[in-house]
Amino acid sequence: MAITPSRRPTYYEELKAKGYSRRDFMKFCAMMGAYLGLEASGIAQVANALETTPRIPVIWLHFQECTCCSESFIRSSHPIVADILLDKISLDYTETLMAASGHRAEAAMHKTMQDYNGEYILCVEGSVPTADDGVYCCIGGRTAEQVLEETAAGAKAIIAWGSCACNGCVQAAKPNPTSATPVHKLVKGKPIVKVPGCPPIGEVMAGVIVHILSFGRLPALDRIGRPKAFYSKRVHDTCYRRPFYDAGLFVESFDDANAKKGYCLYKVGCKGPMTYNACGVTKWNNGTSFPIQSGHGCFGCSEENFWDNGPLYRQMANFPGFGIESNADTIGMVAAGVTAAGIAAHAIATNFRKAKVIDEHIEEGKEAEKEL
Amino acid sequence: MAERIVIDPVTRIEGHLRIEAEIKDGKVTDAYSAGTMVRLIEEILKGRDPRDAWAFVGRVCGVCTSVHSLASVRTVEDALGIVIPPNAELVRNIMFCTQYLHDHVVHFYHLHAFDWVDVISALKADPDETSGIAQSISNWPRSSPGYFSDLQKRLTRFVESGQLGIFANGYWGHSAYKLPPEINLIGVAHYLEALEWQKEIVKVHAIFGGKNPHPNYLVGGMACAIGLDDVSGINATRLAQVHQLLKDAKEFVEQVYIPDILAVAPYYLDWASIGGGLGSYMVYGDLPTNGFNDPTSFKFPSGVILNKDINNVMDVDLRNDEEIQEFVARSWYNYEAGDDAGLHPWMGESKINYTGPKPPYDFLNVDEKYSFIKTPRWKGNPVEVGPLARMLVGYARGREDFKEVVDSALAKLKVPLTALFSTLGRTAARGLESLLVAQWALEFYDQLITNLKNGDNRMANTDKFNPAKWEKQARGVGFTEAPRGALAHWIVIEDTKIKNYQLVVPTTWNASPRDPKGQMSAYEAALKDTPVADPEQPVEILRTVHSFDPCLACAVH
Amino acid sequence: MASSIASPKKLRRVFVWELPVRIYHWLNALAIVALIATGYLIGNPPALLSASEASERFFFGWIKFIHFAAAYIFFFNFIFRIYWSFAGNKYAHWRNFLPISKQFFKDMWAVIRIDILLKKDTEHVAVGHNALAGFFYFLTFLAFILQSITGFALYANMSDWWFADLFSRAGWLFWNEEFAMRNWHHATMWFFIIFAMVHIYLVFYHDYVEGRGEISSMGGGWKFMEEEFFEKKEEKETKAK
Ligand code: HEM
Ligand code: HEM
Ligand code: NFV
Ligand code: SF4
Ligand code: SF4
Ligand code: F3S
Ligand SMILES: [Mg+2]
Repeated sequence: MAITPSRRPTYYEELKAKGYSRRDFMKFCAMMGAYLGLEASGIAQVANALETTPRIPVIWLHFQECTCCSESFIRSSHPIVADILLDKISLDYTETLMAASGHRAEAAMHKTMQDYNGEYILCVEGSVPTADDGVYCCIGGRTAEQVLEETAAGAKAIIAWGSCACNGCVQAAKPNPTSATPVHKLVKGKPIVKVPGCPPIGEVMAGVIVHILSFGRLPALDRIGRPKAFYSKRVHDTCYRRPFYDAGLFVESFDDANAKKGYCLYKVGCKGPMTYNACGVTKWNNGTSFPIQSGHGCFGCSEENFWDNGPLYRQMANFPGFGIESNADTIGMVAAGVTAAGIAAHAIATNFRKAKVIDEHIEEGKEAEKEL
Repeated sequence: MAERIVIDPVTRIEGHLRIEAEIKDGKVTDAYSAGTMVRLIEEILKGRDPRDAWAFVGRVCGVCTSVHSLASVRTVEDALGIVIPPNAELVRNIMFCTQYLHDHVVHFYHLHAFDWVDVISALKADPDETSGIAQSISNWPRSSPGYFSDLQKRLTRFVESGQLGIFANGYWGHSAYKLPPEINLIGVAHYLEALEWQKEIVKVHAIFGGKNPHPNYLVGGMACAIGLDDVSGINATRLAQVHQLLKDAKEFVEQVYIPDILAVAPYYLDWASIGGGLGSYMVYGDLPTNGFNDPTSFKFPSGVILNKDINNVMDVDLRNDEEIQEFVARSWYNYEAGDDAGLHPWMGESKINYTGPKPPYDFLNVDEKYSFIKTPRWKGNPVEVGPLARMLVGYARGREDFKEVVDSALAKLKVPLTALFSTLGRTAARGLESLLVAQWALEFYDQLITNLKNGDNRMANTDKFNPAKWEKQARGVGFTEAPRGALAHWIVIEDTKIKNYQLVVPTTWNASPRDPKGQMSAYEAALKDTPVADPEQPVEILRTVHSFDPCLACAVH
Repeated sequence: MASSIASPKKLRRVFVWELPVRIYHWLNALAIVALIATGYLIGNPPALLSASEASERFFFGWIKFIHFAAAYIFFFNFIFRIYWSFAGNKYAHWRNFLPISKQFFKDMWAVIRIDILLKKDTEHVAVGHNALAGFFYFLTFLAFILQSITGFALYANMSDWWFADLFSRAGWLFWNEEFAMRNWHHATMWFFIIFAMVHIYLVFYHDYVEGRGEISSMGGGWKFMEEEFFEKKEEKETKAK
């Protein structure tokens, strides 16, 4: 889908459409300039800005979250966030950074929803609790569910930041006491870009926004809605420790001799082989490092349901339905043992129960043998 | 008649905080602080592997990222009797200092500054004069007239676009703003510079913990093996990068953060007598220099001060079930023993029971339960935790380094020690402790290098990593001085699984609702008597609330 | 029915397993053994000590190479077997595997009584697969499919060939959780291990109890049936007329 803010009528065009003249427009600009405390020379600039492209308006909601997605976003090094905020988007609502609080904050949000109906991008950080009518997350006296429904209605597209908004993350881990629910299960009929990770890499978040702004459309998504640009490869396939994996050289326990040599972390629980993320390539904090480079396995923070695939330090995941201690091998070995015992018992029983038949066959065979 | 105002959402904080305040004759007469989002992470932890807990609780907060993970590994190590190698302690200390510096600077510039700095007024500043002021308060290089004038042009262009983004509907022009345009312009400049700087300092976390936010920790030490003779591990290049980042951080604190506080404070000295609140403070202590089991070696000493009596500092015992207790009389939970009971966290419960109004609602019923935050008490007393508590306890314990930074700041502002018991004092204390922490970080770095030079390259103690070696039953408590204050976790382990896990968090102490006796916690107490010139634009309330640096995801968890 | 006097029986040679089935069988058995061995190692790597640089070693790479090579053999061999269940003789036919008639269930019950519960009263005689075996082979075929889907879906990312990519959509079967997919792939290995144990035991059991050359039948294709068996069959058929 195309996202080109310039297709939206500018303020001037909007006024014209409503029957105002150019003079009215200039008067509006002068008023605006005065309100902002500008000299006369500034007013021409106001007019110019209002006549040309607006920055793309963004509403950024916060629900059940830890705000690390916002934190990660401000860590982006290219582009740096100051440039995104000043030149690229108009972040009209975000509880983390905006100056206004309370009803003035909500007014800013509603203004954007009205002025840019169908045009703004809705970013969602956090999951939405649906248990008990949504009372577990309220903002301004309304539930997260209500806020999401209202803001999603006029959004051009939705970006679900982080594992919370994409799959519920930690608060959706068993027993998910508040019924924490990801965005795509609640909003239908809008394009949703999922940017999972706990949190997602700052440069990846900025990258998604820059993609939309530079190319005027959403990035290509994979079959579950993640931008292919960042989520098409497994950590394992881009991991610099992969040669150790292929060589069969593994860290056996933390801080052992192999750990100091930087061997593969598979046996201390690395879930890189099942995890789609850009960590091995883009890395974190402007390419400084990523979990594996700093000696800890990947625990799959961008994957669905990863909190319940633990324990973290075992390379095999839990097997669903068999309690916390069983993985497929423990179940398999028990089953194989039982089978072996069954076979042994059956073999013994066969020699008793079928003794007659077998004896006959033997006798028969001996008779035949005599004839040779 | 008093007028009830509601501020919800309180922005420029972490999480979902709602303030309801009664205003009469231009002053707050009563205030209620409510946390309106809950995730029940304590319930989610039950039955899980204690070694995994750090990752779960780490996700309690991405703003004070890493501190819950640190508290958690200490909690589990305490329960299992694990002593970690000195290098691991030092790496944890360095990461701790990094977190402080990041958190405090971001708080001051990005979460608190707009309470004092009028962005729109900065458009009227004279760049030459601005440059003159900047150069008189610090040696920071980005201070030329051209720099400020370019910045001002950029800001003007931004404002003229009509799309004010995060500045929209701010309280610009409010009578509570007192700074001259030039200092406002410096504030805006440093807002943007701090935004750039903060993404650098966290690289220390990336080097030792793999990423930030949410770096990795490990029960028994740290996962970042030292490999001085290997390209993969922590080697000379990585260490050099850490060193550089810590030095840069110290410079930023000394050249930008502290001078800005000292430049802004003189215009707001009336705020040195507003927002003091409880006057009781508590610190658990942190930053071990001789292992975590020797609290006398901590850089931050522990202690409790009641009613501003800094001549009497008392000790805290986190294991004594008479000292720290949590109440739910006014919180949306039920206790088995009845809602007036106080439970020590080892016996803690988190059974949710929402009884508030059905959303959408206009007001909470503050006469009953009104928050998802529980109410912790020390020996029944409400106490404030955080930077101010730490500076006061350090000062009261007679620690020279604390005295030096506090006394020199008080002298520069020409105010007495009692000025610290205030909104301004809280904000200043955060800056002053950043000075100390920036210095300590370099000391820890030097100690780490010395250890490595002496051939000690251990980073983890894995003797007890295997659950088969654990006692059938164990319990532990671990604590840290998180940026927002005293943080502790309590665990009960049974059959290698978590039976109970309870967090009592700094913002739980400060932002909680009243206790069964009706005593207010820190936010509510501090808001009493705060002047409010225009109830439609209660920027003064935001000042005091922001001076605590609220984190609601932490408070409720 | 066996007579009480042990006298030598006349046996007739019956051609049961055509060459393609035999080739299929042994290729399949070999591939599966290789897949189990390498798969187990992938899931539970051994602790190796090595003084050499990783660049000189490719141990795990080989393990995986063998797994993937065997996987392709296994898969296409299986596809061939499906074809042959239409093209081959009546013992190879797909009807031997699907319990779609009443008779099939009756036969299965007979096998359970006689071979599993070891009841003495009667005997059942099957020339190709007995009904229960056929049904279990059907279950194994389902397991083949599951293992191929999960295997190739996991493999899709390492392969440039469009073929593996065909399976990449399988994720939704597992709630888009690659963890779960891998887990099921791993768990299904145990089905094969247990199947092989029981299967080999039963082949020996039949050879031992019935004496019709069960084991060698997968070698040469022949089984040996008693003359009485053919007589009875004729009797039945004439009666039916
Ligand atoms: C009888 C058949 C098979 C058995 C018993 C088997 C067994 C296994 C086992 C036990 C694993 C280790 C899983 C773990 O990490 O815990 C594995 C991995 C794997 N198998 Fe199979 N497998 C079979 C067939 C296949 C087929 C047909 C394919 C198709 C290409 C395949 C592809 C894979 C792949 C891609 C992996 C993951 C390897 C990696 O990530 O490095 N497998 N298999
Ligand atoms: C010593 C090893 C083995 C021997 C002697 C053997 C022998 C046989 C025999 C005699 C049959 C025909 C069974 C019947 O009459 O019902 C058969 C069928 C079969 N066996 Fe095995 N087998 C062996 C190993 C395996 C292994 C390891 C597998 C795979 C896990 C396997 C899979 C099958 C399958 C799928 C069939 C059905 C063949 C068809 O009709 O397409 N066998 N085997
Ligand atoms: N309160 C709190 Fe935290 C801090 N500092 C945690 O312990 O912010 Ni998220
Ligand atoms: S996805 Fe993870 S990092 Fe982002 S808000 Fe949720 S818990 Fe925090
Ligand atoms: S460390 Fe993890 S991601 Fe890297 S090669 Fe090993 S298993 Fe794969
Ligand atoms: S844990 Fe997450 S940060 Fe990357 S390496 Fe794994 S996806
Ligand atoms: Mg708690």
